[in-house]
Amino acid sequence: MKRFSQLAVPYIVWTVIMLLLPMLLIVLYAFTDTGNEIMTFRFTLANFAKFFTDPDFLLVLWRSIKIALKTTVICVLIGYPIAYFIAFSSDKVRDMLILAITLPTWINMLVRTYAWIGLLSDGGIFQSLLGIFGLGDTELLYTEGAVLIGMVYNFIPFMILQINTSLSKMDRSLTDASHDLGADGIQTFLRVTLPLSLPGVVSGISLVFLPAVSSFSIPKLLGGGQFFLIGNVIENQFITVGEWNFGSSISLIMALIMMGTMYLIRRLDAYSSGRGKERELT
Amino acid sequence: MEDKALIQFRGLVMEFDGQMVLKNVDLDIHENEFVTLLGPSGCGKTTLLRILGGFLKPIEGKVLFDGKDINDVPPHKRELNTVFQKYALFPHMNVYENIAFGLKIKKMSRDVIEQKVMKMLKLIGLEGFEKKNVTLLSGGQQQRVAIARALVNEPKVLLLDEPLGALDLKLRKEMQYELKRIQQEVGITFIYVTHDQEEALTMSDKIVVMKDGEIQQIGTPQDIYNEPVNRYVADFVGESNIISGHMLRDRLVQFDDTEFECVDSGFAPNEPVDVVLRPEDIDIVSPSEGLLTGEVESVLFKGMHYEVVVETVPGTSVTVDMRVIKNNEVTSGDGREKISANDFFVDIEDVEKLDDKEIIARADAQAWLPETDEFISINKIEYDLRAEEGQYPVTFFTAGGTMIQKTIFVVNQPFVRNVRANEAVSAFNFFKTVDEITESQTLDTDLKTWANAQGWKLSDEDQSVDISVDYDFDPEKIREGVYKVTFSTTGREFKIRTTDFVEEETEVGLCFNPEDIHVMKKMEA
Amino acid sequence: MKKQKRPVGKTIMILALIFFYLPIIFMIVFSFNESRSLTNFTGFSLRWYEKMWNDSEMMESLYTTVIVAVLATVISTIVGTISAIGLSKSRKIVQDVILQINDFPIMNPEIVTAIGLMLFFITLGIERGFMTMLLAHIAFCIPYVILSVMPKIRSLDPNLADAAMDLGATPWQALIKVIVPQIKVGIFSGALIAFTMSFDDFIISYFVTGRGVKNLSIMVYTMSKRVNPSINAISTLVVLFITIVLIAVNVIPIIRAKKLGIRPGDIKGDKTPRI
Repeated sequence: MKRFSQLAVPYIVWTVIMLLLPMLLIVLYAFTDTGNEIMTFRFTLANFAKFFTDPDFLLVLWRSIKIALKTTVICVLIGYPIAYFIAFSSDKVRDMLILAITLPTWINMLVRTYAWIGLLSDGGIFQSLLGIFGLGDTELLYTEGAVLIGMVYNFIPFMILQINTSLSKMDRSLTDASHDLGADGIQTFLRVTLPLSLPGVVSGISLVFLPAVSSFSIPKLLGGGQFFLIGNVIENQFITVGEWNFGSSISLIMALIMMGTMYLIRRLDAYSSGRGKERELT
Repeated sequence: MEDKALIQFRGLVMEFDGQMVLKNVDLDIHENEFVTLLGPSGCGKTTLLRILGGFLKPIEGKVLFDGKDINDVPPHKRELNTVFQKYALFPHMNVYENIAFGLKIKKMSRDVIEQKVMKMLKLIGLEGFEKKNVTLLSGGQQQRVAIARALVNEPKVLLLDEPLGALDLKLRKEMQYELKRIQQEVGITFIYVTHDQEEALTMSDKIVVMKDGEIQQIGTPQDIYNEPVNRYVADFVGESNIISGHMLRDRLVQFDDTEFECVDSGFAPNEPVDVVLRPEDIDIVSPSEGLLTGEVESVLFKGMHYEVVVETVPGTSVTVDMRVIKNNEVTSGDGREKISANDFFVDIEDVEKLDDKEIIARADAQAWLPETDEFISINKIEYDLRAEEGQYPVTFFTAGGTMIQKTIFVVNQPFVRNVRANEAVSAFNFFKTVDEITESQTLDTDLKTWANAQGWKLSDEDQSVDISVDYDFDPEKIREGVYKVTFSTTGREFKIRTTDFVEEETEVGLCFNPEDIHVMKKMEA
Repeated sequence: MKKQKRPVGKTIMILALIFFYLPIIFMIVFSFNESRSLTNFTGFSLRWYEKMWNDSEMMESLYTTVIVAVLATVISTIVGTISAIGLSKSRKIVQDVILQINDFPIMNPEIVTAIGLMLFFITLGIERGFMTMLLAHIAFCIPYVILSVMPKIRSLDPNLADAAMDLGATPWQALIKVIVPQIKVGIFSGALIAFTMSFDDFIISYFVTGRGVKNLSIMVYTMSKRVNPSINAISTLVVLFITIVLIAVNVIPIIRAKKLGIRPGDIKGDKTPRI
């Protein structure tokens, strides 16, 4: 049997080189200032200082977090009822609806986002629709709203699938028990169904918030040049400016913020859903 | 027990996907009763409970609660609570919060809730557990919490859906007493669903035995056990010896060719009936004192008692000759083909039914190429058979012309009848080669096939009776010659529960009192 | 109880489905538009398909996307499966550590993985282009293959390979004839995920490519500033292609099951939805 374990050796080497080393490089570059000369690096915190002392960068960071939060909230508010409807459908309908939700996610994200350009552009379907209410002149494309729509469109399926999974897993006799103990439909939802589906909401939040905060293609395509997010800053540092050390430090900051957010969300979940969940996490 | 029925089921009909699960059920349940709905899975007992709980709506009939029709009352407005099969405790709440759930919904004040929950915790013996995580409790503790959570709402009726099913045997016994105690203490109606007859007998005031969506019998545990209305109830509740018989007249029943006094009456003269004799009601006595006599077949020690099986009517048996002959293959002139077959016996009555295929099968005729061991087909057979006793030649041919001649013996084979045991067996003499016997992997089954051994009920020829095989040769070392093979049935056996040890294979008498015999109407098919 | 018609839920569901499919339908419709407009449908024509066909940059990006996806899928499926089998037999600590690192590309934001790989290639002085893109794709595809194969291996009887070798199989035969057939559902879904991840990838490809090598996503990204209905045409082709693959993946097991007389529900586990 031991013989089979040797099969993993090449991959262990590969993992270290291709997965671990690149992560270490980001940290290394973030704390150094000598650019490409790996052998002569000097330790410095200047990259971080540069970021935190420039109000423009901080503004962009704040804007990224804000739009990611908005996206997440919208995804929860819209995604939950959809997931609820799916989870409480008959098996056959549920399978079909899940397929219908998953199908678009298989199509290239850039392609799907590009399609929104046409829909939102001047004279497009959405503007004409708004025209009915006398709001025909509203700019849609290259606004925060457009970016928001693009993000919700791309990330909401993850939210729906996560919530649906936790709702479908829920033992149906729990809602029966709640009714049996005198709770009506709304009380049962608030006291039993909702709390029990929170783990799904939490993993949905992480699947929406993380890519939203770091996204740079959606703001570029739907926000035009006007709507700049932290992802775009990183992109610029690497692709156009060539400031890899500074770019690395911004990425590191972003990664830390994400980890912190995730930790907070999980603590919150553990707190709200009682001691049982806490045990599960540790 | 009070006269006024608290719950009345009237003409309930329920159907799932075209399957009838309740067929016109009528049932009254009184206040303070411990009622058990007993039956195997799929009998409709859980459906009945769910209808009462309000989780299902019957397609016909109504449910009256305190005289009022509650068909359209949603579950959360019904004055009853349920203990669910797997407890359905809310995993995100602790013990206290689970029990307090119903009271919080009713918007009771904090201190009233606390008082009531504490009282419940005391009742179920889980004081100090209020902050515990319910998912970390043992099955028995979860069970108690589920009961407390339901009882704290002070329902008029508590519904319990197989609540002990998930517990191990020892805990289940403990909980049975516990449940009965709780019911007596709170003094409300318990409706309990189970498939476990022992649970039903231990706890209930009233048992409702169900089968295929219909109520078979309603009665006290004593009624159900001692006076089952039919074979089904007798078989489902407790262990029993069930024998077909006839009611000769009031207080006289006949079974196994013997007449017995009994205490039952009200049957038509000579009406076919089923008779129940409980294993513990039969005493083992000396053969001369017994109402029935028989041989002790087996004795099993069960801890508190012995379980003895006595055969009162010996099985029917028939012995035939197995002629073991030389290997009987014929090789073709050029040595390329081989063919073999056996002589065989056939009953006059069966001659008509013989065709080519059947003859090849009965003679076990085979042809093959010895070089490759590949079977080839027998493509022609010649014979001249008449439905008269005698010997008739039969010849089997291959396509290549290799042939073998054998004999069919047409005999008038009498079968052995056993009127007392209501059965008959028959078997034929047969021929086999040494190789066929030594190579057989399942000799008992093969012997039955070769001898065409059959057993059947005299009253119904289509109902077959199991037969066993007995022989005293060593199949590994068998040589040519004639051997006896006996095919026999088991006969009539009685199961007896006794504290006195008896030796196996001794002759004993069986004794029982007229009141131990319980006569039941035959069930409709 | 639940027999109500759920009108609110149904309305929300229908609106949601419109939201999901409107952009896709819009794109398909306007790929056949006669004019350049993305807002007015002026008439049916195939001119954007013709233009796409003659646009060497577009066709090259399509070619790059497909070749990279196919190569990355094949390589990462083989390597991932073999590595997963090897890891399952390795010491617990090795297994835990490697699986933890393996999770990096799945858990990290894609942009972080992308920057890491870019810095890696720059630091080693490897010129970026087709090869770096392929290597990067293999690097982020293998973890998904391992992730979907590993649970299947864990649910196997640990004595299976021993039993095969006891019956005279060489270790290689035991692997190919006994273990692989048992986990082929996991391998297949791993391959499918790898393919779509590679086919869809934008961020990582964008950072590790060079010398003008573009895949479809990069092409759409760089061209999106100008209105170019050819993008609709090529996107429609992609939608068509993905739909065919998906139908094949979802329908073939059903057809096979019907032939074998199994209800499709019995093989539900074989379906491979993303995430």
